[in-house]
Amino acid sequence: MHSVLQRGNSILAYTLSFLAFLTFCCFVSTVFLNYSTGTNLKAVKVLVKNVPDYSASREKNDLGFLTFDLKSDLSSLFNWNVKQLFLYLTAEYKTPNNELNQVVLWDKIILRGENAVLDFKNMNTKYYFWDDGNGLKGNKNITLTLSWNIIPNAGLLPNIFGSGSHSFQFPIEYTTSRM
Amino acid sequence: MDFFKTIPLHMDFEGQHRAEKLSRIIITVFGLVGLVWGYIIQQFSQTVYILAAGFLLTSILTIPPWPMYRKKPLKWQPARDIDSNSKDSNKGKKKK
Repeated sequence: MHSVLQRGNSILAYTLSFLAFLTFCCFVSTVFLNYSTGTNLKAVKVLVKNVPDYSASREKNDLGFLTFDLKSDLSSLFNWNVKQLFLYLTAEYKTPNNELNQVVLWDKIILRGENAVLDFKNMNTKYYFWDDGNGLKGNKNITLTLSWNIIPNAGLLPNIFGSGSHSFQFPIEYTTSRM
Repeated sequence: MDFFKTIPLHMDFEGQHRAEKLSRIIITVFGLVGLVWGYIIQQFSQTVYILAAGFLLTSILTIPPWPMYRKKPLKWQPARDIDSNSKDSNKGKKKK
């Protein structure tokens, strides 16, 4: 502490250590919070086609099309340790080939301060709903679930599954006409 | 150049102790106040800004060797004549 540089160094080091401590306090204050909430999902228009999957084997695979309604109030999830939410919509189903299939159909990023009250009507999916075979036609139990990642300032990166899934079934006939 | 050499840069030992204590207190108080305030308004950035303000205040108050840190200079023994015994003068230096 006897020279200007030493004092500057000491103060800066202490400030940064204290900042680390404050960040830890911020993390501790939110680590036990419950980030789950209800979502209201509904598949509106559902059809399935049988078309060649040129991105993979070129064989004809099932391709599902659907539009969905989504209604959820996520504003309660935000606090001082949440920078943004990453929402993603998954379809979960079972086929003879695979016990569990999971396909991400849609996603969205909500920054803190943006509108977190979602009310979408008749939304198209963002990504293709490919099956790796013919498991979609006539499948009676496809479950849509909205999940989200909490991106924090400091701490864990929890992966939360929204409560309120929606199940629907695909038609038993392929759609052949162009959409 | 002579003008710059007249600027005092040192603190006495008491002053160093007071400067360190003061800097710790100010940064800690600003940090804790910032934590409470940031929690109240749920903005961690405000906590960081308040801590930064504390850092600036501390820098101004304790980095330059203000006169209040130079109130108790060491009382050196008066310099001896060069002619006197060299053994004695060595002892005197060690004591300091």
